Amino acid sequence: MRKSIKPKILVESSDVLPLVDVEIAFRVGSLQDPIGKEGIAQLTGQLMRRGPSGISADGFEERLANLGARLTVDAAMRSTRIRATTLRRNLEPVLELVADLIWQPALRARDFAKLKRHAQASLLARLDDDQTLGAVHLRQRLFAGHPYGRSSSGSSASLRRIRLQDAKRFYARYLQKEPFIVGMSGDISDSEAKSLVRAHFPAPPRKMNGKRDVPATHIRRGRHVIVVDKPERTQTQLYIGTLGARTHDRNLFPLIVSNTAFGGTFTGPLMQEVRAVRGWSYGAYSRLMHSDQRDAWYMWTAPSAEYSADCAALQLELLDRWVDKGLPQASVKFAQQYLINSHCFDRDTPSKRLESRIDIELLGVPRRYVERHDELVADVTPKQAKEATKARISPGDLVIVVVATAKDVEDAFAKLPGVKSVEVVPYRQP
Amino acid sequence: MGSPTSLIERLNRGVTRRNARWSFVNAQRFGVALELRRFRLGNGLTVVSLVDRSAPTISYHTWFRVGSRHERPGKTGLAHLFEHLMFNETKRRGRGEFDRLMERAGAEVNAATWTDWTYYYENAPKNALALVIELEADRMSNLVLRAPQVRSEKEVVANERKLRVEDDIEGRALEELYATAFRRHPYRWPTIGWMKDIRGFTVEDCRRFYRTHYAPNNATVIIAGDFDERQALSKIQERYGRLSPARPIDPGPHSKEPLQRRERVLRIAAPTPTDKVLIGYRAPSFANPHTPALSVANELLFGGRSARVHRLLCLDEELALSVRGAISPFVDPGLFEIWISLREGKRRRDAIALLDKEVRRLAAEGPTDLELEKAINQIELSFLHSMETAGGKAEQVGFYETVVDDGGTPFDRLNAYRRVTPTQVKRAVAKYLRPSRRSRVEISGIAA
Repeated sequence: MRKSIKPKILVESSDVLPLVDVEIAFRVGSLQDPIGKEGIAQLTGQLMRRGPSGISADGFEERLANLGARLTVDAAMRSTRIRATTLRRNLEPVLELVADLIWQPALRARDFAKLKRHAQASLLARLDDDQTLGAVHLRQRLFAGHPYGRSSSGSSASLRRIRLQDAKRFYARYLQKEPFIVGMSGDISDSEAKSLVRAHFPAPPRKMNGKRDVPATHIRRGRHVIVVDKPERTQTQLYIGTLGARTHDRNLFPLIVSNTAFGGTFTGPLMQEVRAVRGWSYGAYSRLMHSDQRDAWYMWTAPSAEYSADCAALQLELLDRWVDKGLPQASVKFAQQYLINSHCFDRDTPSKRLESRIDIELLGVPRRYVERHDELVADVTPKQAKEATKARISPGDLVIVVVATAKDVEDAFAKLPGVKSVEVVPYRQP
Repeated sequence: MGSPTSLIERLNRGVTRRNARWSFVNAQRFGVALELRRFRLGNGLTVVSLVDRSAPTISYHTWFRVGSRHERPGKTGLAHLFEHLMFNETKRRGRGEFDRLMERAGAEVNAATWTDWTYYYENAPKNALALVIELEADRMSNLVLRAPQVRSEKEVVANERKLRVEDDIEGRALEELYATAFRRHPYRWPTIGWMKDIRGFTVEDCRRFYRTHYAPNNATVIIAGDFDERQALSKIQERYGRLSPARPIDPGPHSKEPLQRRERVLRIAAPTPTDKVLIGYRAPSFANPHTPALSVANELLFGGRSARVHRLLCLDEELALSVRGAISPFVDPGLFEIWISLREGKRRRDAIALLDKEVRRLAAEGPTDLELEKAINQIELSFLHSMETAGGKAEQVGFYETVVDDGGTPFDRLNAYRRVTPTQVKRAVAKYLRPSRRSRVEISGIAA
C-alpha cells in the first residue's frame, strides 16, 4: 500500500566511480523514545532492516549481498537514516528493496526476539570499550533527567520492557506516516534520480513538519567527579565536560572558532601542553556539540593512571585560562584559516555534499552555515570569540568522568580544585 | 596531459646534478578514466602521479620501505616511534612548525606504520601542494633528533601502547596471537614494540635508524588529486633533487618461518563480560597467487550478514555477537585472522566446532556460482569505496607500490578476484585453513 506522502529529493551527481549511495532520512530518533522504553527507535530501525514482508530475513540479506549492496539503518538522537550503497548497475533492484522495506516492513516476532537479544549482547560488549564507556557516562551525567542524556541503545532494563507491539506502534506513528527525505549521490544524474524516486515513492505532496520541541537543558552547578571503576586499568579515559551550544545560537561561529583554537587542532594549547610538552596522552582534544538545545562541550584525553589526576589538573588550568583570558589574536586567526582551508574536506565526495544538504532539511541546520561557512568563520573577531567562550563555557560547572581502577585515582581526583563530589560507579552498572 | 618523455626533457634541461635528473619509468591505466605515471629522480626517489580533478584537493603520500620487520629484538617499536619523531623539528623548521604550517593550510596530516612499511600523508586543498612538497622533502633529510623530543615521544608511545594494547582486549589478543604463531620471523613482535624496548630507546638508536632508512632511494611519493603534474615534478626536483641516496639497505638474513604442524593455544584472562577467541591460520603473502581465492573465501565466510559463519554463529545459533575475518596483507606469509566475540554464557568450544564444520564444508563443496558472485560483488563494492577520495587512491597506490612493487595494479587485483573459480576457493581453503596450522588465543572474562 502506498502512503500519501511525497518525499523531498536531493541529488549529488558524480560519475567518477560506478557507485550510488541512497539515503532515506526521517526526522525521528531516540528523542522520541518513551520514558522507560529507551532504545525503541533503534530497535524499530533494526527490525525494519530485517526486510520487507514476503521475503525472509535471510532471503533479504542474500538478495542485497548478491546485488553488491550494503544497507544500514541508523537511529540517532534526532534522526533515523536508512543508507544503501550499491554498484551502479544494480541500483534499480536495490532501490526497490529499500522502498519495500519502508512501505511494507515485515516486523516479524521471531526477528524481534532475536534483535532484542542482540541489543542486550551489544550493551554488554560496550563494556569492553573504555572510551565509549566514558562518553556514555559523560552524557548521562551532563544531561541527567533530560532526553539528551539517554543512550540511543537504551539500557538492559528498558530493552526488556519493549514489546513487539511497541515497535509496531513506533513504526506506524513515526516512520510509516511521517514524510521523509530521499537523497541520492554518486553515479546518477538529477533527472534519473528523480524519476527513480517518483517510481518507487509515488504520492501527492505533503510538507515536512517543523522541528520537534525539546525541553531546555540545564547545567549542574559545581565540579563533580565520576570514577567508572574497572579493574586492571593501566591507562585512563578522561572526559571533562559542561554544556555547549545551540545550533541557532547567535554566537555559535565565534564559539566554533574559539574551541578550534583551544582544542580542535594538533597545534592548539590543549594538545601541545598535554601531548607535545609532557607526552601524557596519545590524544587531547575538545569538542563543541550543538543541537536544538544546548548540547555538550568536552575535553578528552587518555593519560596513564599514574598521572591522570595531574593531567586533569592541567586541563582545568588550561580551561580556566581559556575562558578567563581568551586566546591570542594570532591563535584565533590561525583557527579561522584552518577551518576555512580544510572546509574542502567536508565536501570532497558526493556523499558528504549530500549529507550536508540533508542536515539542512532534516535537522534545521541554517542553510547559511553550509553555503556561507567561510564567510561566517572569517567574520569572527577575537573579541567575539572570547565573549562567546565566556558566555557559553562554564569552567566552574563540570562533569569529570574518569574510567580507571578507582583505588588508583579516586583520592587524587577528589583533590582537584573546586570538586564538590566524587562518586565511584562499577563499570558494569548501567 | 602532455607526453611524459617531453615533460622530463623540459624538466631536465640545464640540470646537471645527477640526483636531480628525472627519468620516466612508465604509465598505466588506472581504472576507466585515470592514468598513473611513474617517474624517478637520479637519487632513487620514485614519484607516482595520478591526476584526478573530481575534487579541489590533493593527497600526498610518502611511503618508506621500513616497518617493524626491519627491527631487531631489544629494539622493537623503533619504526613506529620514528613515525612520531618525524613531526618534530628539522634543521630549517622549529619544533611544531610542520604541524602549524600544515594546519594553517587546511591539511589533514598523519602517518601509519606496520610490519613492512611506514607512510606519511597530507590530504590538503590543491593550492597547498608546493608547501607540502617543501616540508616533506625537508623532513626526509633534515630531521633534528634531540633528547627532549625523543623522551616526550617515548612517553606518548607508551601511552598509545596502554590505550591500544594493554587496556584493549582485542589489541592484546592480536599481539599474543602473532607472538604465538611466529617463532622466527620478525612478524612475531608487535609494530608498536614491547614496552621495555620503547622505554629503552636512545637518541643514537633514532639517529642510526633515520640515516639508514629515511632516504629518497627507500621511498615512494604518490600524488593524487587535482594538480598540475609539470609544476609538481618541478617542485619535487627542486626540493628532493638536493638529497643524496642512502647506502642500499642490507635486507639481512631471510627469516623463514618453519612449517607449523600442530595447533597452538594460548589462554588469557581479562576484565571482559564475555569470552572471545582470536584464531590465526598461516596464510600466504599478499602477492601469492592463492591469496585472491583465499580473500574470496574470507568474504564468503565473514563478509557481512549473509556470510556463512556470520549467519551461523551470530544469527542462527546466537553464539556470538560478532565475527570477523581478515588476511594480513604482508610481504611475507602472515595470518588469516578470525575474531569471535561470544555472547554471555556461550562456550568457545561450541563456536569453534561450528566454525570448523563450516570451513570443512567450504573446502569439500566449494561455493555455489551465485554465492561466489555475491562475494565478488561485495569485494568490488569495498574496493570502489576505498577509491572515493584522493587520499583513498593514494593509499591504494602506495600500498601496492610498496608491497608488490607496482602501484598500478589495484584494478588488476580486482580483476583477479573476478576470475576466482569455486574450485580455486575450495583448494585455497583446504590448503590454508587447517586446524593444525593455526594458533588460537582464548580470552575468558574475570569477575569485576
